[in-house]
Amino acid sequence: MVADVVGAEAAVPAEAVTRPRIRVQGAVKSFSGRVVVDVDDLVLGDRPIQGLIGPNGAGKTTLMRMIMHSTSLDRGRIALLLASGGEVALSALPPNRMAGHGVVKSNQVIMDFDKLTIWDSLLLAVAEARYEQPHRIASERTVFDRHEGQIREYLEYFGFADPAAFAMSAGEKKLLDIVRCLLLRPTFLLLDEPTAGLPEELTEKVMAVVRDLAAGGTSVVIVEHDLNVIWSLCDEVLFMAEGSVILRGDPQAIRENRTVVEKYLGEGHV
Amino acid sequence: MNIDWLDAFLISGLFQVAMVTGLALLLHLQLGLARIANFGVVGFWGIGMYVFGVLYVKVDWPFGDPWQFLASAAIATFVAGVAGLLIGWLISDLNTDGVLVGTLGFATAVQILATTEDDFTGGALGMGGLDFPFDIGRVKDNEFLWLVIMVAVVAAILLYVWRVHRSPYGRLLIAVGGNEPLVRSLGKSTFRAKLWLFVVGSAGMGLLGAMNGVMVHYLDVGNVGVGVTLAAMVGLVLGGTARVWGGVVGVILTVGLFDIVVQSYLPLPEEWYSQAIPVLREAAFGLTLMLVLLFRPLGLLGDMRRDKLMGRIHGR
Repeated sequence: MVADVVGAEAAVPAEAVTRPRIRVQGAVKSFSGRVVVDVDDLVLGDRPIQGLIGPNGAGKTTLMRMIMHSTSLDRGRIALLLASGGEVALSALPPNRMAGHGVVKSNQVIMDFDKLTIWDSLLLAVAEARYEQPHRIASERTVFDRHEGQIREYLEYFGFADPAAFAMSAGEKKLLDIVRCLLLRPTFLLLDEPTAGLPEELTEKVMAVVRDLAAGGTSVVIVEHDLNVIWSLCDEVLFMAEGSVILRGDPQAIRENRTVVEKYLGEGHV
Repeated sequence: MNIDWLDAFLISGLFQVAMVTGLALLLHLQLGLARIANFGVVGFWGIGMYVFGVLYVKVDWPFGDPWQFLASAAIATFVAGVAGLLIGWLISDLNTDGVLVGTLGFATAVQILATTEDDFTGGALGMGGLDFPFDIGRVKDNEFLWLVIMVAVVAAILLYVWRVHRSPYGRLLIAVGGNEPLVRSLGKSTFRAKLWLFVVGSAGMGLLGAMNGVMVHYLDVGNVGVGVTLAAMVGLVLGGTARVWGGVVGVILTVGLFDIVVQSYLPLPEEWYSQAIPVLREAAFGLTLMLVLLFRPLGLLGDMRRDKLMGRIHGR
């Protein structure tokens, strides 16, 4: 199904900054016979920050997982269109190869390493594979020295209470997940409900970081149920229902669209 | 150095304690950090012992000991590492049940091969001809020196494991054990991490097997049974799978207590030694395993404390 366009896709002004995009073609995913995602042809990353919204069960998270290949496709193809002009078939890559191509995703459900401290978790994210070999057992100091400054910057910015301890609260774990993603220096960042469970102050900080990243050339797609984040952060909003993107356009146009109001927002939200 | 106070039984018991400690330490990296329950320890250990035995006894080496020993032990260690590569590759995507069945099956296959390939291994009759790569006098002196060498090897393994805990590699293993999909999403190959873990661990187990072959002089397929895996596993679980010293403490309390204290110092009937004691040993280890899992599942030393360790390494 081709997405309808509100505010015409072609009318989107060309970006001054060339940024990577992701093209989803004929991608289908079913669970127990029920089609959860059925996207005919969709390009993500045309605008710096895109919001993906829709009712529960619309297929937003599954689509993101399909892009990361953590959920396999029944059929179809997903490719990363590089800013330099090349193309990488993401749907043919194992999940661990995504980050190497700059495609990184935060998790909707809280995911953490129970036995690793906050520092541990962040050092894990930044450690280069050559230092994680069984014979490189004296390389901890090297890894720490190489990345300490960068990690401390994020720790101080987000105000982690005790980074030498374990992440305890749901919010802290959520934030840790985001910082891990940021440390991977993504060129295409997928954020799945990044601010869920975060206090307002931290939500603002996350949004500021996302804006900075996008300004630097990173493409960002964000799934978020806090619509204030979507309206204030996104350059374009895609509305997904029943497995397909059925509308896309600038936030204001989507916000006022009758279909969106009826299926998702409700009359009081406009 | 006067070692007259040491009897042959005590030297043999201490050698067992040291060797099983080495196995438990290597198992700790797999089970304690990466949460891979390798029930095929005896398979890798047995490969090392038999490959060493066959090479040492059957090959007409152009040089004598210690080079004959070193060459045979190096090849045996390498072959055990290759076996680890194959088994690691086969089980890398399996769940806990699959890993358990796969590694147990591998250990059984090794025992069957050792029995059926009697042209090489001597089969059920066993194979003799193994000896120390040195001769410093009395048998007891040679055995004691071999015990000292084994303790040095195990100390090196302990140092390696201790360093792994303080390295990016150790952190990766802990992460693999905690949340594999999340590790992959960070761009890391959990497949490669597990493969290397199995190669290094299996090679180490193979080396310990080869060294055991030297100590016992005679290879018997009856020794390549589940008892070796059980001893390492029970010791590690009792001490604490997640702690560096867990295997050391646990093996001393299990193998040390049973093989040395019970067998050497308790007035047990003479006729028990051939039949009843090995059975009692396995029953005691099995019971210990059940009790620990029921009442102290994290072992005597408890869980790992990364917060304290990281604090010590990098400050707070």
